[in-house]
This record gives sequence, C-alpha cells and structure tokens, in this order.
Amino acid sequence: MKKVISKMKQGLGIAWRYKVRACVLLVILFLIAPKPVKSQFLDPCCAIMAAGLNTIGSTLSGVIGGGLGSILSIEQDISKFEQTIVWPETLINQARSLVANMQGIFTQMESVMRIPVNSATLPATQQFEENLLSEDPNQIALTSSQYVAVYGSVPDATSASPQTRNLVDMTDAAAQAAMKRAIEIDALADLELQAADQINQSVETAAPGSAPIIEAQADAWLVRANAYTQAATADLMRVRAIDLADASAIVKNGAANTAAVQQQIYNLLKRQ
Amino acid sequence: MVILIDALFGFFFALFAYLMFVARNWQQVLALTLAGVLVVALVSPPSAQAQASLVAAIQAVLNVINGSIQTALNAINSVRSAIQKLYEGAVWPVSLINQAKTLVTQMIGHYRNPMQGIFSMNLKSATLANPMALENLMRNHQTNDLAALTTSFGNTFGSVPAATASSPADRTMMDMDDALAMDNLKTLKESDAADDLSLQAANNIEDQASQAAPGSAPFITATAVAASIQSQALTQKMLAAELRQEAARLAHQNALRKRGATTTGEVNSQILNLLERR
Repeated sequence: MKKVISKMKQGLGIAWRYKVRACVLLVILFLIAPKPVKSQFLDPCCAIMAAGLNTIGSTLSGVIGGGLGSILSIEQDISKFEQTIVWPETLINQARSLVANMQGIFTQMESVMRIPVNSATLPATQQFEENLLSEDPNQIALTSSQYVAVYGSVPDATSASPQTRNLVDMTDAAAQAAMKRAIEIDALADLELQAADQINQSVETAAPGSAPIIEAQADAWLVRANAYTQAATADLMRVRAIDLADASAIVKNGAANTAAVQQQIYNLLKRQ
Repeated sequence: MVILIDALFGFFFALFAYLMFVARNWQQVLALTLAGVLVVALVSPPSAQAQASLVAAIQAVLNVINGSIQTALNAINSVRSAIQKLYEGAVWPVSLINQAKTLVTQMIGHYRNPMQGIFSMNLKSATLANPMALENLMRNHQTNDLAALTTSFGNTFGSVPAATASSPADRTMMDMDDALAMDNLKTLKESDAADDLSLQAANNIEDQASQAAPGSAPFITATAVAASIQSQALTQKMLAAELRQEAARLAHQNALRKRGATTTGEVNSQILNLLERR
C-alpha cells in the first residue's frame, strides 16, 4: 500500500513538474474519449424522432396507402369491365371459331365454282370454248384466231360494201373484246378468291387489336373488287351498246336500200 | 467493434502521453499538441444536430407527403375515375351494347325467315315434260348433275345436226351457241349453290354478331369483309359469263351478216353472169 502511495506521489510530482504537458493530455483525453450512446428512452431527441417517424408512418398509410388503395380499386373495376364486357376471352374465341367456320364455307364455294362447265362438241368450238373458260390471261392471244375459226372473218372488199365491212369489223371487235375481258375477269376473280382466303386465315390468328388492321386491308380489297366488277359491267354495257347500234344500222341499211329501189323503179318507169 | 475501438484509443493515447512526456523542449510539446488537435478534429464524429432541426426535417417530410404526393395521387385517382366513367358511359356503355345485340336478334327474327320464304318460292313455269325436266335441272342449285343438264338441254332445244344435214359453218355456230348457253346454265347452277353458301355465311355472321362483344366484333367484321370479297369475285365470274354470252350473241348476228354479204355478192355475180350471156 505504501508502495502504491509512494508511486502515486511520484507520478503527481512528475505531473506537477510537467504541468503544461499534463494539462494538454487531459484536454486531449477529454476530447477524444469515446462517448456513451444516447438512450432511446431517456434522450428527448430520440423521443421526438420516434414521434416523427410514427406520424410519417401514419401519414404514409393514410395519404399514400389510401390514395393507392382507391387507384387500385378503380383499376380493378376497369380491368373487370374490360375482361367481361369489352374483351371477354370466351367471345373472342367464339368469333375466331366463326372465322374458321367461314373458311370452310369459302373452300366449298371455291370448289363448287371450279367444276368444269365445258359443253362444245366440235373441234373448233371445243378449242374456242376451252380458251374462253381458261381463266388464263396468257390465252387471250389465241382468242381472235379461234373466234374467226368459229364465226368467220370480215368479208373482203369485193363481196361486201364498205359500210357492211365496217359494221362487221366493229361488231366482231366488240364481241372479241368482251370475250377477252371475260377471261381477264375470271382470272382476277380467282386472285380475289385467293386473297379473301388469305385474309380470312390471318383473321383467325389475329388479336382484337390487330383484326381492324386486317379488316382495313380487306376493305381495300373490296374496293378493288368493286372496281373490277364495274369494269366487267362497263364491258357488258359496251357489248349491248354495239348490239343496239347494230340493230339501228340494219334499219338504216333497210331505209337506204328502199330508197335505192324506189329510185331504180322511178328510173325504169321514166324510160318507158 | 467497441472493444477494438477502445483498445485503439488506449494505444494511441498511451503513445501520445509517452511522446508528450519525453518531449525535450516546448516546440515539440506545441507540435504534439497541434497534432493531437488535428487528430481530434479529423476523427471525432460530427456533433449532433439540434432538436429543432430534426422536427423541421420530419415536418418537411410530412409536408411532401401531404402536399405534392397527396395531390399527385388525387390527380391520378381522378384521371382513372374519369377514364372509367368514359369507358362505361361513353365508349362501351353496357346498355347500348346490349341494345345493339338485341337489335341484331330482333332483325334476325323479323327479316330472316320472310326473306328466306320469298327467296325459296317456286318459280318453275314449264308445262311439258322436256322443258319441265330442263327447268328442274336449271333451278335445283345442285352441281352433281351437270351431265344431265346437257342431255335435257339437247332434248328441249335439239342437238347439232349431222354433218350431212347442215353446212359446216352452221354446225359450228350452232355448237358454239349451244355450248355457251349450256356453259352459262351450268355456271348458274354453280353460282346458285355458291349463293346458298353465301347466305349461310351471312346467317352465321349475323348470329355471331348477336352475341358479340366490342372486342370480338372486329373479327366478325373482318371475316364479313373477306366474305364480301368472295361474293364480289363470284359476281365477277357471273358477269364474265354474261359477257361471253352477250358477245356470242353479237358474234352470231355478225356471222349471219357476213354470210348475208357473201350470199348477196354471189347472187349479184350470178345475175351479172346471166345478163352477160343474153
């Protein structure tokens, strides 16, 4: 004990001897000594922070949670509405089945229209009929020669008057053009049938959002098909117009012939 | 971690104390003091903020939540409500969707059977055996009896005369006229059958429309347009057949005119020959 007391006295003596250094050490020790952690229960700062966090929590659950809850509820209502009223999957699948069913009907219609209807019995007419029903635009080049083989050519200048030859040539031209147009229209109709098939098949695999695009394309095809129908109707009208003009020309020729006969009778009577 | 920090602190403090006591002059003491102050300044944690600034920070967070976030959520909520109202009230009102479906069903009930009745009325008018048989074949909408049509046509309108009974030109023209007439009668049988299928397609489309939803209707519309293209193509085939028939009629008349011109030329030359002999 005495030894300890004497050592302490010795230490204090040293400290007294170096009092400035001892003071600096004490100050440094005080400054850098580890500080105790503040208690959550006793420190007022922690209490304020806890109260603040509680308020933030309740505000988050009230304001943000409530707001998000309302949005979720509306989104669920919209989702339900869209799934049951606007885009019900069962009805979409049902519509797709209809499209598949329509494809079957299209195929039947096309096979019915492909049954051959050829009926001619003589070689020349059989060839010509084959050409007219070929649905092949490459055969149009042969139509005129085969037409002449069946209906004859324009009489030569020595066997018919110029008027008659003009009439015959114009009428033949209209008839041949109509026959050639018929071959074209048949070929176009075949392509339209193919396109309709293709469009219908793509509708079968479409989505509700992509179907209107296919429909727009189908509408374009319909407009095109209408144009070809109009072209065919126009040719039909041309043939009928030439037919009418032909009938009129017969009357005109009759009138001219009658006038010529009258003139000749008059001349004969004059001579007597 | 705390023990390690305490040990480090003890070690550095002992080192500092040792250096402080072994310093030989006041300059070294001053230098050590400055080094100690610098270490304290660098190592010591920042002092805690005042309670007042903590309250202000919490209040700021609350202000953000109650201010901009709440406003944004309310805005989103009102926009989604407006969209829902628009969908249900204006774009896809259930009442109008049901009304449209009801209209389709009503129209099916009102029009389909009467129209079918009108369309299937008996139009046959022939009275004799052969014409009756031909008329039956022409109007039966069947495509498996085209050969019978050819026979029946021959029974009613006669067949092409034998080579000894008529000139080659006449035989050719008769055969061509008959062929095109029969072609068209056969084509009409085919188009009648196709018409039946078109009507069936139209019925199917209409039935489906009566149960459709706004989201399934585009499929039905698209397939209906495809069916319209098909129908238009068939109309074109009929027009092509009519064109052939009209053209053949014109060609027939023209062939007679050609023959008349040739005959007239021959008669003229014969009269001239007779007059020249006298």
